[in-house]
Amino acid sequence: MDRRLTTGLAALLALLPLACSAPPSGDGGEFRDQLIFSAPADATTLDPHNTTDTESDQVTMMVFETLIGFDDQMQIVPRLAEQWSVAEDGVTWTFRLRRGITFHDGAPFDAEAVRANFARVLDPVARHKRLPLFSMIDRVDVVDAHTVKIVTRFPFGAFEPTMAHVSAAIVSPTVAARAGMDFGKTAEATSGTGPYRVVSWKKDQEIVLERFDGYWGEKGRTRRIIYRPIPEAAARVLALEAGDVDVISRIPSNDITRLETLPSIRVSKTPSVGAQQFRFNLTKKPFTDRRVRQAISYAINRRAIVDNLVGAFARPATGALTSIMRGYANLGEIPYDPERARRLLAEAGYPNGFKTRIATTPRYPMGVELAEAVAADLRNVGIDAAIDVYDWGTMVGFWQGLPPEKNPQEIFIMGAGASTADADWGLRPIFQTAPTNENNYGYYSNAEFDRVIEAAMRETDADRRQALYRRAQEIVYLEDPGAIWLYENLYIVASRAAVSGLRASPLGVVTFQRAVVSR
Amino acid sequence: MRLVARGLARLVPVLAAISVIVFLIVHAIPGDPAVIAAGLEASPDTVARIRQELGLDRPLHVQFVSFVTRAVQGDLGVSIRTGVPVAREIAERLPHTAALAFGGVLLAVVLGLSAGTWAAVTRRRWVDRAVMAVTLVAVSTPSYWLALMLMLVFSLHLALLPSIGVGTPAHYVLPVTALGLQSAGLIARMTRASLLDTLDQEYVRAARARGASRARLIARHALRNALLPVTSLVGLRIGGLLAGTVLVESVFAIPGVGRMMVDAVIARDFPMVQGGVLVVATLYVVVNALTDVASALADPRVRA
Repeated sequence: MDRRLTTGLAALLALLPLACSAPPSGDGGEFRDQLIFSAPADATTLDPHNTTDTESDQVTMMVFETLIGFDDQMQIVPRLAEQWSVAEDGVTWTFRLRRGITFHDGAPFDAEAVRANFARVLDPVARHKRLPLFSMIDRVDVVDAHTVKIVTRFPFGAFEPTMAHVSAAIVSPTVAARAGMDFGKTAEATSGTGPYRVVSWKKDQEIVLERFDGYWGEKGRTRRIIYRPIPEAAARVLALEAGDVDVISRIPSNDITRLETLPSIRVSKTPSVGAQQFRFNLTKKPFTDRRVRQAISYAINRRAIVDNLVGAFARPATGALTSIMRGYANLGEIPYDPERARRLLAEAGYPNGFKTRIATTPRYPMGVELAEAVAADLRNVGIDAAIDVYDWGTMVGFWQGLPPEKNPQEIFIMGAGASTADADWGLRPIFQTAPTNENNYGYYSNAEFDRVIEAAMRETDADRRQALYRRAQEIVYLEDPGAIWLYENLYIVASRAAVSGLRASPLGVVTFQRAVVSR
Repeated sequence: MRLVARGLARLVPVLAAISVIVFLIVHAIPGDPAVIAAGLEASPDTVARIRQELGLDRPLHVQFVSFVTRAVQGDLGVSIRTGVPVAREIAERLPHTAALAFGGVLLAVVLGLSAGTWAAVTRRRWVDRAVMAVTLVAVSTPSYWLALMLMLVFSLHLALLPSIGVGTPAHYVLPVTALGLQSAGLIARMTRASLLDTLDQEYVRAARARGASRARLIARHALRNALLPVTSLVGLRIGGLLAGTVLVESVFAIPGVGRMMVDAVIARDFPMVQGGVLVVATLYVVVNALTDVASALADPRVRA
């Protein structure tokens, strides 16, 4: 076993310099012609304009492409557009498209396809789930066959990261027109320009992707990528160890530490856009008083929580955004200071604390344990917090579709993760005063924050934008806390040692284009 | 024949009752399917649109009537989560669940009967004791834990069988074992007890006195009568086995109806939950009708 592994590794190492420049070499020879990836759930749909879950994004990322995209460091890079620029007015964006690209079904990619796609995602009747992300687009004009102009309603500072979001992907207009609302529901009704095309989709069993030989860019190195959902975490880990799958994600924290010690397994940890926090329901007393929220913030021993509960996949928060996000400002860890917490509580008129409830869900890793840790820290400063555990469906029901006065939750767990990796989407929908905001489940409202965030959204100058977001984070992180900021997540992927060339993205998806599995 | 008809006639009121209960339960549990389907980053507009599209904004009784009228025509609606017709989603998955459940029953019956008979008729006490001990362990082992242990031993350490997925018969060995072993234990214990009882009966002693061979005695005289309570137990266990597929399908990543229903409940995918329960309930009633027929064939008293 060991010798086989070493030989395999040696062969792999010897090949690496070659492999970097060599054409696709995933068939036969040193490498297997397929790679199996397992996550907890099947994709819900392969229509990038109509998904909000990571599992679907994971697959659509390989099948579809955007005009501009993110590289590994979350920098904006050209994709289907080879060049782009914004006019003096700050609202007119011109994209020059790459020529000679075809969709998997053979339809040509051109300016008309781009126009049709934004018309599709913005269609007020179809109302695709990703419509809100693009609501700042006023119109899309075809200039010539390979140039489009996108005009926004106002100068939008986060335009580029929004265009790099997977839901700005260009789907085949031919297949989309034919399939209508059924686009993305079967392999046949799915077609993009990406390095892999969907050849079959057996629900809950597997999605088979095959290298698209007509791909314009660097072709996939492994012929087939198979996406095989395994709902049970323990089984997913076992299947990896048994070699029945090559790569897995969403690993229980105690297994992460164990897998790291195995020579046959590699564990990668990538800083991500995901963060864990508890929010306050600001329509409820005493959370209306910012001193109470500050007190709670100082009462929490984040270091202990990270060290004892989630160290395998997290590090303490240092701001209201995660450190790899555009617009992040490093405001430092919030110190653990129960004395100060008690003082603040006394100032706010609660020298003996008060009673409250913490709502949580096991859907988040360690969700229940986190609530218990927070409750223990709060008890230490006199706040008596009872814990309510809900399943995901019930939890979401409290947040959406209920008017503020009807939401019974007082402190509730919440995962954050702006899928554009940008401060705008990471702060504006969540903390801007209702009704302009739509996901402000804690009913946070701070006039200065609103002003700053609005100005930042319209600011296209990078430095001024950064300064505005810094100010916004000082408010919501420290001065008038909008949440109990806990930690930022690392995106954990485990693979067999035979696998190389994987790229894990901070968005919580894996890129397989360069991945190979040695025999 | 009349028996089959009677069994099937029972299907109608049972399904009617089940559809009412399931409909009420899914609508009573907290959580809004439109909200979950829309996702956390969606706007209230999107949620409202989805709710309207799904008809969730209509009064409950209107929703129920429309559900029933469509269901009797074989239309189970469209999945909220995936937008695919429920009937198609179920049809795609039912063969996997059926194969798993059939395998589980087969394993339970064959293993249970042989072990139980062996324990009852052996003249070596230690065989009896050993069989009873093993079946006790089988009965008290939760299938979830057993499933993971089987994977650990046979896939990871011995590398004999695939750990997850479907495709070849080998893929079914571990799931079927995890599913059927508990029932096998129960059936074995029931068979042994019942057979020991029967072997004590006058007519068996009489047959022995007439000089019937031991094998013939057990096979023709004792076992046939001893099997009556076992048959009803098997009928009952099928319900348990169908429920067990939920866990086993999740652990072994088998794309079956049970796992589909778990996902559906989490997502409050009402049409999918209702459709799934209706189909599984139908299966259960049909299979039970069949076991009734089987016991009738074995016992003239039930036939009357």
